[in-house]
Amino acid sequence: MTVFKSAFIATALMMAAPVGLAESAETEQASNATQIIAKVNGMVCDFCARAVTKVFGKEDAVESVDVDLDAGEIRVALKSGATISDERVGELVKKSGYDLVSVLRDTA
Amino acid sequence: MSRFCHFLCVVLLTVFVGQSADARPVSYPDGWTIMQQNNGDFSSAHVHYSPTFQDSFGIYSERNWSSDWQFTGVQYNRLVKRWNTSDSQANLYFKLGAGQADAFGDGEESLAGFVDMSADWETRRWFLAYDARAYDLGFDQDFRQFARVGVAPYIGDYGDLHTWLMVQVDHDPESDTPVTATPLIRFFYDVQLLEIGYTPETDRFMLNWIIRL
Repeated sequence: MTVFKSAFIATALMMAAPVGLAESAETEQASNATQIIAKVNGMVCDFCARAVTKVFGKEDAVESVDVDLDAGEIRVALKSGATISDERVGELVKKSGYDLVSVLRDTA
Repeated sequence: MSRFCHFLCVVLLTVFVGQSADARPVSYPDGWTIMQQNNGDFSSAHVHYSPTFQDSFGIYSERNWSSDWQFTGVQYNRLVKRWNTSDSQANLYFKLGAGQADAFGDGEESLAGFVDMSADWETRRWFLAYDARAYDLGFDQDFRQFARVGVAPYIGDYGDLHTWLMVQVDHDPESDTPVTATPLIRFFYDVQLLEIGYTPETDRFMLNWIIRL
């Protein structure tokens, strides 16, 4: 019975470890990211894209926001040590009136 | 009955055809917008607040010179549908106004309202828009519509001064000149938009501006 219990615990630890490591890696990547590049659809007008600056600018984690109309990208610089999830980026893009295509994180 | 049918047809037409009168009648969440229009037929002012990117509400006042009436009331704007693609955006808006109107020199005020549908489509180079509005003023009914086409002579970056060359064709059955064409130039920079045009048929100038706060 003791052997069975030990095997069970070992198996559980083995299965949980990769998940824990993955979460840890994701958190580390998010915390190290200094810039987020959100590719969006529909951003063709400077006057209307002002919404992006206003909406993202209200986030505590955001240092500055820039818009590249040619590339259809929102470039968000984060404050030191601050994080923002992909889901939150998607919410903010939607709130600005656009559709999120992808999120890239730049740690350089 | 015929007036009611006319009004109903106008409403149905606007619902299914769609259009955009005031450039972007909704703003970003918590955004305030002031817009003012002046042409030979009417002058108007609209101040609205947007709780979301899909809704705005505010006050609207119009002094209509061609049909001799004035309207003052509240206005609700709704972004019914937006189509975002990689290189274009299209919008369908619905607007509703309710308030009071009076005819010049009459002195009597009556309950009044309007319904408006507008739509636009734009890329960084091209712009198309259409707007139709029907008024029930109590003592009269009014209808007008316009279509607009525009081209950007250059493609500016974010933060640049942007310029559009446009032509607007208006149809106002109550006006002395029911159909007019107005070449205009649109500038926008940051949160300010300015339009200046001239209507040869009526020898009148157009001046529209918008500020988002």
